[in-house]
Amino acid sequence: MKSQGNIGRIAAAFMSHRSLIFIPLLFSSAIGDLRSDLEPFLESHCYDCHDDIDAEGDLNLLDLKFDPSSPQDLKIWEEVFHRVELGEMPPKKKDRPEAGEMKRFLDSLEKPLTDAARRDLDEQGRVHGRRLTREEYENSLHDLLGIDVPLKDHLTADQEEGFENTSSHQQMSHFHLDSYLRAADVALGEAFKRAVNGDATYKKVYAPKILTTRRRGDGNYRGPEFRNGKAISWTMTLQFVGRMYPTRVPADGWYRVTIADVDAVNPKADGTVWGVLQSSSGSSAEPLLYPVGLIEATKNPTTRTYEAWIRKGHCLILKPDIGGAKNARISRGGNLVYNGQDLEKKGFQGIRFGEITVERIYPHATRWELRDKLFPGLNYKELKAPGFDHEAAFKRLISNFAWRAFRGQSNEERIKPYLALAKRTFAEKKDFVQALRSAYHAILCSPYFLTFVEKPGDLSGQALASRLSYLLWKSLPDDQLLKLAAGKKLHDPKILSAQIERMLANKKSERFINSFTDQWLDLRKIDFTQPDPRRFPFFDYPLQQSMLAETRAFVRELIHGNHSVQKLLRSDFAFLNSRLKRQYQLKNTPVKSGKGLQKVKVDPFARSGLLTQGAILKITADGSVTSPIVRGIWVNERILGRHIPPPPPNVPAVEPDIRGAVSIRDQLAKHSKEASCIGCHAKIDPAGFALESFDPIGQFRTKYGTKKTSAKVDPSGVTPDGLPFPGFQAWRGIYLKKPKMLARSFASQFLQYATGGEIYFSDRGYLDEIVEKSGVKGYGMKTLIHASLNSPIFLKK
Amino acid sequence: MYISTQKSLPRRTVLKQAGVALSLPFLDAMCPAFGASSPVKPKRFVGVSLALGLHNPFLVPKDKGASYTPSPYLKSLQDIRDKFTVISGTSHPGVKGGHTAEGSIYSACPMGRGKVSKNTISLDQLMAKHLGHETRFPSLVLNNSGERSPSYTENGSMIPAVSDSRKLFASLFVDDSPQAKTRQAEIAQGGQSIMDIVRSEAKALERQVGPGDREKLDEWYTSVRELEKRLEANEAWINKPKPKVKKAPQSPDRNSAPDITRAFLDTVLLALQTDSTRFVTLHCSHNAVRGLDGVDESYHSLSHHGRSEEKLDQLAIVEQAVIDHWANFLRQLQGAELLDDTMVLLTSNLGNASSHDNRNMPVLFGGGGYQHGQHLAFSQTNNYPLPNLYLSMLQNLGLEQGRFATSTSTMKGLV
Repeated sequence: MKSQGNIGRIAAAFMSHRSLIFIPLLFSSAIGDLRSDLEPFLESHCYDCHDDIDAEGDLNLLDLKFDPSSPQDLKIWEEVFHRVELGEMPPKKKDRPEAGEMKRFLDSLEKPLTDAARRDLDEQGRVHGRRLTREEYENSLHDLLGIDVPLKDHLTADQEEGFENTSSHQQMSHFHLDSYLRAADVALGEAFKRAVNGDATYKKVYAPKILTTRRRGDGNYRGPEFRNGKAISWTMTLQFVGRMYPTRVPADGWYRVTIADVDAVNPKADGTVWGVLQSSSGSSAEPLLYPVGLIEATKNPTTRTYEAWIRKGHCLILKPDIGGAKNARISRGGNLVYNGQDLEKKGFQGIRFGEITVERIYPHATRWELRDKLFPGLNYKELKAPGFDHEAAFKRLISNFAWRAFRGQSNEERIKPYLALAKRTFAEKKDFVQALRSAYHAILCSPYFLTFVEKPGDLSGQALASRLSYLLWKSLPDDQLLKLAAGKKLHDPKILSAQIERMLANKKSERFINSFTDQWLDLRKIDFTQPDPRRFPFFDYPLQQSMLAETRAFVRELIHGNHSVQKLLRSDFAFLNSRLKRQYQLKNTPVKSGKGLQKVKVDPFARSGLLTQGAILKITADGSVTSPIVRGIWVNERILGRHIPPPPPNVPAVEPDIRGAVSIRDQLAKHSKEASCIGCHAKIDPAGFALESFDPIGQFRTKYGTKKTSAKVDPSGVTPDGLPFPGFQAWRGIYLKKPKMLARSFASQFLQYATGGEIYFSDRGYLDEIVEKSGVKGYGMKTLIHASLNSPIFLKK
Repeated sequence: MYISTQKSLPRRTVLKQAGVALSLPFLDAMCPAFGASSPVKPKRFVGVSLALGLHNPFLVPKDKGASYTPSPYLKSLQDIRDKFTVISGTSHPGVKGGHTAEGSIYSACPMGRGKVSKNTISLDQLMAKHLGHETRFPSLVLNNSGERSPSYTENGSMIPAVSDSRKLFASLFVDDSPQAKTRQAEIAQGGQSIMDIVRSEAKALERQVGPGDREKLDEWYTSVRELEKRLEANEAWINKPKPKVKKAPQSPDRNSAPDITRAFLDTVLLALQTDSTRFVTLHCSHNAVRGLDGVDESYHSLSHHGRSEEKLDQLAIVEQAVIDHWANFLRQLQGAELLDDTMVLLTSNLGNASSHDNRNMPVLFGGGGYQHGQHLAFSQTNNYPLPNLYLSMLQNLGLEQGRFATSTSTMKGLV
C-alpha cells in the first residue's frame, strides 16, 4: 500500500515538476530499508503503547511513514529520536533497551533525518522572506534619514510569542503594506520638513513658583506644593497628582528635561523616596501617562536629566511612587489645598525640587547631518540655480539612497523604476524635492528594503553584512561593513570576528542586548499581569522598571565581560539599586542609595543569577499565584534547552484551587501520576518546584500564605536524571555541572534570533562544534556568540 | 513537498500567462457590487469575543429548549428573551491551546502550535470579502485594548484592531481637514504607482530567492493586489462627506474594560445605522476593570479564580457587566429596527479560563431574523461543532457556502 502511494505521488510530481523526480525515487528505496532497520526496536519497545489501537499521547508509530516529503512526519521522528536519546522513552517502568540496541536504533534514525534536514536547508534555506520588525524598521529609517520621530506606532505589531523576527511566524497582508506606505510618508515628511524649513529651537526654564501656579482654565489644581522656594510632590492617589501644566510643550518632539535640586522629604529607612516623571495631556479625556524616567531622591539634592519624546500639548507630571505608602488626603472638591497643612511634619513622603528646564533636542542628527543624508554632495542652493541638471541629480541621489536602503544590493537596473517615478512626478509637479521624495517613498516600500534577500546556500557578502548588522545593531550596515561585503572579505573568519568586536563595542549594540534579552527571556511580558494589590501592596512601578533594568544589565555584563554561561545560574555579582535591595531584603549588600543601578558583589549562594531575578520570577507567574508548570517549561526551554511539546489533546488542565490549604503540589501530584502525563512532567516540574521558594513578584517565601494554616512551600524534587534535590540551591548546583547543556541552549536561542530561522535536526553537529569551541575559553558568552556567528547555521540562508 | 509544488505551479503559470486574463477576475468581482445595490435590505454581522471566557456554571441554563430557566447571568436579559439563543456544548473541533486559540474564534482553524501552523480566513472577513465593498469600511476590526484581533485575512494574517474608540468615531464621522484630504489623496494616488513598482520587484525577487520563499512572495502579491483595490476605493471615498451623527464621541475610562466595550458598541451602532460598515468584530482583551462596585482585582487574575468564592463573586460582576452591555446593544438594534437584519454573537475561545480549556465555548446568538428564545444544549463532554453555526450565518447572508472550516452541516435546531 505504502509503496503504491509513493509511486502515485511520484508520478504526480513528475507531471508537475521534472527536477524533483530523482530525489523521491532514491528515497523510496532507502525508506523501505529504513523502516525494516527500525522495526525490531519499535516492535519490542514502542508498539505496546504507540500502535494504531492505543496511540498513547496521540502517537501511532505503526502507521507513521518515514517520508522525507512530509515535514510533519519527520518532525515526529525527530521527537522520537530525542525522547529515546534522552532515555525518556521507553518509560522507566518498562523494560530498558540494551545499550547496543538503542545505539543501533538511534544511528539508523539519525543519518536519514540529518540528510533530509540538510537537503531541505540546501534547497530552501532556513529563513524565508524575513521582514524587518517594527524596531528594525524604525532604527533603519532613523539611520537612513537622520530623523528621530517614533515610527513603531504607525506599524502593525510584531508577534508576541517567540522571537519577533522568526520569518515563519511573520505575517504579511495589505494592512502591513499599507502601514509601511503610511509610516514611510510620515518619516519622509519629517525629514524633508527639517531639511527644507530647518529645526525648531525651544528652551524654557520654570522656577518652582511658576510650576506651582494655577492658571485660569486649568481645571482642578493637582500640582505640587510651593514651600520655601521649592516645589514638593507628595504621595497621593488622585489622578494627575504632580501635574505641572506650565510645562506644556508646543510640538511633538524630543525634549531634554533637567530638574534641579531634587531631594527626598521623609525618606524611607534606606534614605530614598522613589518617584516617576511622566508626560501627559493631563486631561481626563486623554488620560494616558507616558513614562519619562524614574526618580530616586535622597536627602542629598542632585540635578537630574531626562530625555524623552513628548507629545504636543503634553505637560510633565512628577510624583512619588511608593507601593503601600500612606497617602495624604488634602483634596477639597477635587483641588489640592496645601494651606494650613504641614505634610512633612505629618510624615508623608515627598519629592522636593527646584527649577525645571525643558529644551527641544534632535538626538539623532543635526539638520546639516540630515541634509547630507537626503541630498549628499548637493548644495541645497544649487536646486534653485538656473541650469540645474535635475536628471543627473536624480540619478545620483536615488542610486545613493537605494544603495544604502537596499544594503548594497542595488544596481542600475533596479533603480530604473524609481528614477522613472521621480521624473514623472517632476514633469507633473515641477518640484524637485517632491519628485525626489516620491522616489524615496517607493524605495522605502520595496521588498529589497523591507525584507532580507537571501539565496539558498552560502550568504553573499551583502546578505551576511545585513544579517550581522540587523543582529548586533538592529539596523542597516554601515559603509565599512558594506565595503568589506563588496570586496568579498566578510567571510574571512578573522575579519568577521574583528567586525563582531567592532560592532559590539559600538553603542548601537545596546539595541541588540535589550531586544535579544527581552525576547529570549520574555521580558516584554512584564506588564502582562498586575500583581494582586491586596497581597502585594508594595509592588510599584519603580520596582518593575528596576527589575527590567537589572536583568538587562546582567545579560549585558555576561556578554561584554565574556562570563561563563554558568553565571546565568549562579554569579558573584548582581546589578541592584536601592529599590531592589529593599525588595530582595539584602541587608548586607553594599548598594548606595541615590546612585541608580550598580554592579555589586553578592553572595553567590544567596540570591544570584538569572533565575532569582524579580523580572524572571514575575513573568513566569500570573500576578496572584505561581505555577511550577509554567516556570518549569520556561526554565527548560529558555535556559536548559529542552523543548517541551504541548500536552496531547483531551488532557484536562489542572484547574487551580486557591481556596484552602491545598498547595499546587498536591494538585499536581494527582495530575502527574497519570501514565500519559508523567513522561513530560518528570521533565517540566522539577525546575518549577525548585522555584516555588519565590512568590509571583520574586520574594523569597517558605509558606503560601501569611496564616498559620497556610501550606508550606516544598521546593524539593528529583531531576529527570534521577538526582534528588532539597531546594533551589541544590537544584542549580546540579545544572552548574552541565555547562555544555547551558552553552548549547544559549547558542541555539541566540542563533534563532540571529537568523530569524529555526534550529534544524541537522544542526546538532554544528551546535556541538560551537559548544566545543567555547569550552576552550570556559564557555564564555561572548565566545559563544563568536562561535555561533562563525558556524554554517549563521553563514547560510 | 509534492503537494506544495502542485499548488504553486499553476499559480506561477497563471502569472506567466499574465496580462489580459488577470484583469478578468477583478471585473467579475466588481459587477455584483453595483448590481446588488438594489433595494434588497443589507444584512450584517457583529461578533463580540472575550479573551477570558464566561464562567460556564453562571451562564448555561440547567434545562434546555424554549422553556429554559434563566441562568444567573441571563436573568437580566429576560425582556429580550425571544431575541437571542443560548448555545451550550459547542466548540471548534481540534482547536486547543488556551489563550493562543484566540486566533481561531472566527476561523475555527485548528492551528497547532507547530512550526508551520497558519490560520485561515475568519468568518467576518469572508463576509466582508464577498459583501464588504458597498460601504466605506468593508469591515471594522476592534479591540478594547491593543491590536490583537480574531479577524484574519485569506492568507492567514491577523488584521490589527483599532483600540481607541475616539479614533474609531473620528474615522467614521469626522471629516478630515482639507490638507489631510489632500495628503490622503496623494497617498492613494502615489501609493498606486508605488504598488506597481513593488509588484514588479516581487516578481524580480522570485528569480533571486529560493523555492522556500515563494509562499512569502505570494503573500506579497496578494497584499499588493488588495492594497491597490483599497487605495482605489479610498480615493473614491476621500471626498465624499462622512455621515453626520448627533452624538458626540465618548471618553471611556481607560482602566475600565466594560466602559470601553460600551463606548465601542455605541459607536458600532452608529456605524451600522449610517451603513458605514456591515461587518464588525470587537475583541475584549482588556485586563483592567476599574469602576465596578465590589471588584478590586484585575480581570485576568479573577478569571483564574481557582474556585475561590470571593474571586468568583467579583468575576461574576465583571462578566455580568459585559453581558449586559451586549444585551443592551441588542435592545438598541431592536429600537433602530436593525436587529432582524443583524446577527450578533457573543463568544470566547475559552470555555473555562481558569484551566485554559477551549471546549464548551460560551455562545449567545441574537438577531438575524431567527426564531430565538431557546437554549440549544449539546453535550458538554462531546461537543457539537460551532462552525456549523458559522455556516448557517453565511447562508443567512445569502452566500452560497457549502462548508466553513470544520463544519459538518448547518446548525441543528436553529430556525
